[in-house]
Amino acid sequence: MPDSILLSPHEQRLRDEAAGKSNPEREKHPRLFALLDAFDGRPPSIDVERALLFTESMRATEGQPLALRWAMALEHIAAHITVYVDDLQLLAGRCGTDSGRYGILYPELDGDFLGESLARLAENIAAPIHISPENLRTVVEKIAPYWSGRTYHEDLNRSLPGELRPLVYDDPQGFTSRYIVHETSSLRASLQWVPDYEKVIRRGFADIRADVLRRMEALDPQSPADTLDKRPFLEAALRTCDAVVLWAKRHAELARRKARTETDPVRREELLEIAAIAERVPEFPARTFHEALQAQWFTQAFSRLEQRTGTIVSNGRMDQYLYPYFRRDMESGALTRERALELLDCLWANIAQFVDLAISPGSRESGEGYAHWEAVTIGGQTRDGRDAVNELSYLILESKRDCPLHYPELAVRIHDRTPDRFLRAVAESIKDGQGYPKVFNDEEIVPLRVAKGVEFGDARDYAVSGCASVRMPNRDTFTSGCTQLNLTAALEMTLFNGRMLRYGDELLGLETGSPENFADWNEFFRAYLRQQTNLQRHAFVVQGLINRTRARHFAGPLSSLLHDLCLDSCTDIHSDRPIPGGFDSAFFDMMGFATAIDSLAAIRRTVYDDKSLTMAGLVAALRDDFVGHEAVRELLCAAPRYGNNDMYADGIGREMERAAQEFSRRYARELGVMMDVRSISVTANVPFGKVLGASANGRRAGMPVSDGTSASQGADSHGPAAVLLSNFNTKNYDNKEREGRLLNIKFTPRSVAGEEGTRRLMAFLRSFCDLRLWHVQFNVINRETLIEAQRAPDLYRGLIVRIAGYSAYFVDLSRDLQNDLIARTSHDAW
Amino acid sequence: MSPARAENDVTGVVTNIQHFSVHDGPGIRTLVFLKGCPLRCLWCGNPETQAFRPEIGSVAERCRPGCSACREACPAGALARGTSGVMLPDTSFCRECAPLSEGRPPCAAACTAGALRVYGTRRGAGEILDEVEQDIVFYRHEGGGMTLSGGEALAQPEFALALLREAGRRCIHTALETCGFVPSETFLTACSLLDYLLFDLKLADEELHERATGVGNARILENLRLARAAFPHLPIRVRTPVIPGVNASRAAVRALGEHLMDMRNISWELLPYHAYGNAKYAGLGRRCREYAVPDGECMKELEETARHFARVVSAEEHAGSCL
Repeated sequence: MPDSILLSPHEQRLRDEAAGKSNPEREKHPRLFALLDAFDGRPPSIDVERALLFTESMRATEGQPLALRWAMALEHIAAHITVYVDDLQLLAGRCGTDSGRYGILYPELDGDFLGESLARLAENIAAPIHISPENLRTVVEKIAPYWSGRTYHEDLNRSLPGELRPLVYDDPQGFTSRYIVHETSSLRASLQWVPDYEKVIRRGFADIRADVLRRMEALDPQSPADTLDKRPFLEAALRTCDAVVLWAKRHAELARRKARTETDPVRREELLEIAAIAERVPEFPARTFHEALQAQWFTQAFSRLEQRTGTIVSNGRMDQYLYPYFRRDMESGALTRERALELLDCLWANIAQFVDLAISPGSRESGEGYAHWEAVTIGGQTRDGRDAVNELSYLILESKRDCPLHYPELAVRIHDRTPDRFLRAVAESIKDGQGYPKVFNDEEIVPLRVAKGVEFGDARDYAVSGCASVRMPNRDTFTSGCTQLNLTAALEMTLFNGRMLRYGDELLGLETGSPENFADWNEFFRAYLRQQTNLQRHAFVVQGLINRTRARHFAGPLSSLLHDLCLDSCTDIHSDRPIPGGFDSAFFDMMGFATAIDSLAAIRRTVYDDKSLTMAGLVAALRDDFVGHEAVRELLCAAPRYGNNDMYADGIGREMERAAQEFSRRYARELGVMMDVRSISVTANVPFGKVLGASANGRRAGMPVSDGTSASQGADSHGPAAVLLSNFNTKNYDNKEREGRLLNIKFTPRSVAGEEGTRRLMAFLRSFCDLRLWHVQFNVINRETLIEAQRAPDLYRGLIVRIAGYSAYFVDLSRDLQNDLIARTSHDAW
Repeated sequence: MSPARAENDVTGVVTNIQHFSVHDGPGIRTLVFLKGCPLRCLWCGNPETQAFRPEIGSVAERCRPGCSACREACPAGALARGTSGVMLPDTSFCRECAPLSEGRPPCAAACTAGALRVYGTRRGAGEILDEVEQDIVFYRHEGGGMTLSGGEALAQPEFALALLREAGRRCIHTALETCGFVPSETFLTACSLLDYLLFDLKLADEELHERATGVGNARILENLRLARAAFPHLPIRVRTPVIPGVNASRAAVRALGEHLMDMRNISWELLPYHAYGNAKYAGLGRRCREYAVPDGECMKELEETARHFARVVSAEEHAGSCL
């Protein structure tokens, strides 16, 4: 790499480490780095204990109400699973083996093909996962056989109508997706989620249990509904409270046992303190910052034993619910900043070691790099609309900046009155180059929630969950995985009379006729919209099936008992019955937004406006993947593109979104939930591109489509301001049928260097806020570093890059995704 | 016709509009480059902005060997393959067809590789401000606005003044970067419409100035004095490109400094020469002079000298002082 290139601090540290210098943060965070040395860089392994205990229990309880069975399984797990108090740790508890990074299995999701998938694990060279021969045998002999024919995934697959199946799955068993109308519900038991940690920390499970008991006593013994539905729900809640407390206390016992044999007096004291804390929380209210953190971690770890939550359950607004304990301890002198940082480090280390295993082909492709992003949310507003930033917000930001891990995922909420001091700290973190934090806009998200019927206070209390979605604890009630539409496939169907190049003569869309028959651009675009709406229609049917089918397979007694509305109505969170007062925010993703816009704009410009190309010429070039049609490809590439503040392209995007929103407005109510337009791709833009032929924006067959609402790879040539404006231009602010929009922007370190760079980034974020955009995240990195890391992965093991709503180690990603990241435009000039 | 309407209709030739700049005036700014310059500085980094007429330039790495679509499309055949193998415009035959109107001249339209670039489009003041105004969302938190640059913006006086007036009407902060070689009346009128002035000074010695830029500096120095006297509250940033072999000496800087010594509300910025414009010369079929790039040591030394005469803004603190 030439020396003249300005490196980001993150790049500089990696370079120094490769040269043998140690990380300067090591001295400030000795415990974190010691913890890290024990697991960093080693492939994760699979622990089967949870899966085995869960299966044993479910086998023994067949026929009983689902919520109750689930709670009994949790009791069984809590009583028998191995518990851990890691050496060096101050926060006890993990969900599986203490041999470094690990993952656990959820056979209720994919038990039918678990054995086969695990046997094929070795194929995934980019992100290897280790399973011991004994564990593999346990899965094949004791776990998988029970689930065969019983999983949700099989049930959904069976229920798909014939005309839909070829759009959804590529094989009869439904192992691999077609990525045309992609369903994400069989990868997880719940959508991304945020439990009400505050409730556990402030009240404790003993008090919650007493509340459940009171409700039980108040049941009408004559009422059949109370007996059929409410009693099993409440009994499940009781059992779950007991399970969590039992599990926590087993950690206290273990810590005491360890203390008895511990020879180091300092560690012995630590172990005794851990024991005392685990004895108290989460059963009773936390009294200190340390107790509050332990209660939080026990809750989130137990939630992982309960179910697979998409991208793992999130951390919620940590700077809000932990602040009272932080402030009190700081004021009394019981806590120092250093100690608070150390405790946060302990939480990050626990989070980092739990890997959301991607075993099925679909989940492997859509969330690469051991993807999990249990977002920590800071900043934003209080329920009554005041700025919510406090000293803990700054401490969490600092802790994240020092931390060499890509966990936890840090999200910042900003609004019109976010103080400059906080915005500056955010800008400086972004400049560091690890991709943190991602930024969310209260000025878009809060009013949208209010427009959809949420009270102001709840709307302002949202937390980031998943990569770019948000949840309101005690208000959100929709947990089904949703669908994703391949927009460029709709365009391909417009050009090939309802067919796609990859699937030959198989009719997949509407027969809109030969493209040469369209008289003008308007006719062509109308045909495209018909194809797009047709895919959307299918997505709605799939979603309806998902919503109905899931309720027969999943229950979430812990998630439900921590949710005010579920508890009030005695309804499980995964039930298909509406939960009174609930906010059912379902959605579908428009995938490859920019690729489709650019392709449509190129067709409009070359075929209809300039007439520099005939439709036949275009179709021939696409068929041949541009081989021998280089001039055609160049002509197409020269057309206006999304990401440059050019209404020629952006106007098309706005119409595409509008059409989708209008369909939603008309038909969502039939599904009983909202069905809003979202555009968040995670890493699925890579597999979505694989099923497509060449597209009219010059993209070659099989290459990734654009991610989220970012510009197509390399298309944004007018600087980052134009990228924001294009995002703004394509939004229909008159429609409320809109949800998250993910936006990636890549800067070179040079463009944000120095005080000037900080001020520019701050102004950029303010403008982002003014424009009412949803989300933005940054990669501050040199293209050369990425190329270097591809060449010498060993030297760049610690290189963290931003993917889509989360960050990952670059070397853990597939070659396709690495290339995609390299191809995205780096804004070197503004 | 209302005066505003008339202002919007004034047209001029613009090389390009650059968004989100932070180097040319306070805050985040939109730069409007007007084409044409009365000076011919030997080191000029933007040769495509010198001539008043629109021009065609080629981008070497895009031009395809063996392709002559541009020449075939040109009514005068005014393109030829240069020694480097790249198609270059032949200015003596070029008829300058169409580039001032909508669309592109036949040669550029025929080039599917995008190797031919049109420098200069005639546009209306109102239309320019419409585009500038879209960036307001980026100015408002950092006090940015529009900066007119060139070429020499005031060499199209009617157009430049119309742009400044229209910006004022739209409450957009205005800055001008000028070489100062313009009639004093025009210059002072412009100053009356400005919130910030960037004034280029190259050399104090009249004869050397003429040799290096093609014109003498008497009028330039006089304009600076006039502006300072007539608009004492207008912040002025003097900018001096540091060109080794031309003015990269303590003596040259000292001589310039003498002119600034008694002026108030002035800051001074020394800009090291860069060679980024060299490729553009080749693309226009012209030769460029090459200079060494002054090193950090040299810049530091010269800035130290400059500090005796005015408040000096060095590259690192640049943003801080602007904002």
